Amino acid sequence: MPTRLLSLPFNDLEYVFDSMDVSDLIALSLCSKRTEKLAKSTNRKIDRHIVYLDEDQIGFDICEREFQQKTENIYFNVFDTWAELEKGDGIEVRIEKEFTSSDWIAHFLSIFNESMIPVLEINDISLSYLNTVKQFIPKCRELRIGENCSNELTRMAFLKLAPISDEVDIANNSFENDISQFLSPNLRSLTLFDRETPFKLTSVDLLAVNTTDLSVYKANITEKELNRFLKLWMKGNHTFYRPESIRLTLEDEEIELNRQEVFEGVPYQTVGDKLRLKRGDGKELIFYVEENDIVFEFA
Amino acid sequence: MSSTEQGTSSAAPAEPTTAPESAAAPEVPESFYYVHGKDKVVHKVSAGALQHSALIHGMISNLGYTEEQAKANPFPFENIDGDILQMVVDWCNQHKGKPTPPEDTNLPKQKEKLFDLVLAVNYLEIKELLTYCCKQVAMMVKGKSPEEIREIWMIPTDAEDEAAEKEAKKRAGKEAAGETAAAAGDAK
Repeated sequence: MPTRLLSLPFNDLEYVFDSMDVSDLIALSLCSKRTEKLAKSTNRKIDRHIVYLDEDQIGFDICEREFQQKTENIYFNVFDTWAELEKGDGIEVRIEKEFTSSDWIAHFLSIFNESMIPVLEINDISLSYLNTVKQFIPKCRELRIGENCSNELTRMAFLKLAPISDEVDIANNSFENDISQFLSPNLRSLTLFDRETPFKLTSVDLLAVNTTDLSVYKANITEKELNRFLKLWMKGNHTFYRPESIRLTLEDEEIELNRQEVFEGVPYQTVGDKLRLKRGDGKELIFYVEENDIVFEFA
Repeated sequence: MSSTEQGTSSAAPAEPTTAPESAAAPEVPESFYYVHGKDKVVHKVSAGALQHSALIHGMISNLGYTEEQAKANPFPFENIDGDILQMVVDWCNQHKGKPTPPEDTNLPKQKEKLFDLVLAVNYLEIKELLTYCCKQVAMMVKGKSPEEIREIWMIPTDAEDEAAEKEAKKRAGKEAAGETAAAAGDAK
């Protein structure tokens, strides 16, 4: 009787699976429920796992060892009724599988033992499709909203998906005078990035920040508004302020911050290159300038 | 029972060429052991070559056989096909006392032979050869689709797995019922 692979002793199977490329392991995991479990049992850790959402497909960008010379870059694209496994070396494998979007997401999370999607990137999708995303994306560590997303899509994607994300990166400025509401969700990190259109900020916006780390590139804020923010923060004894750091990269690289105006009427101590502000309730704020960045660190 | 002298030529110790006579260590004669598989063909293998197998090495150490005793009592591996045991013996001879290379291209390409070799090597506990074999097994499905992998590795479908599980449960139930009936009969 011919020997089936799965009748080999388990430790031999482990050797075999450990010797397999991740792309082959993914293909194996799709053979049956049993092979899915076996693939999962290998505990393969991957450095990069990004899920891209496009209107007509879901893409998985997977790399076991990122930043290494001989590494395998895998692109797995899921279409309506079929999927395609593409390796960086030109090998393409067509896969027929009756899986829904939800099944595919759950499958990849399962075989790589992940409790949530490491990175979810939203590209140019319709608002109606966006409404369905939460049905198959349970949770993600980092949400990226791409630069090509429209203003409306960016805002809607943020409002709908930030609650299921720990970190959010937005690569376009889709905010006008209402940026405060996008700074207020409780996130671990929020990065706003736009080279062309700076993010206009006021002291009220900075006080509304409820994310642990905020980074804005590029920011448009006046010395007067910075001064007002510092004064209001100083007055806010015993009020909870979540941020641990705020980094603002200023709009004009040539501009020199007028520190006198920023700190007018604000008591501070100089500690090396940094300035320290201390509130009555013992909370501290360290302020310093690093090239074009102004940095606030709260303790 | 027939007998072959596998590996005896490669097993000969290298002759020292330049060492002075007085400094030369007394030459210790190499000991040989005998193994046979399902086909009963006996293979003569040096202790050095057999060191690759943790199982046989352990048996040799524990038994403390003399040459005559070893010849009279070949190690029987009835669960290993003769040609597979031959491959294992050849590999052990080729790699006797040498560091193993990162790859081995002399492994069988046929699936059945390779799977049998994995089973034999796993049983004999030859770690390096097992690693090569498993890599070779993994290479069989490189760049293949799930359907192709299923075919190459004969992976059952979910339906087949479920049917086999049901069958196993049914068999276990029957066996348990049989045992209970037998126990009841004994009690009477």
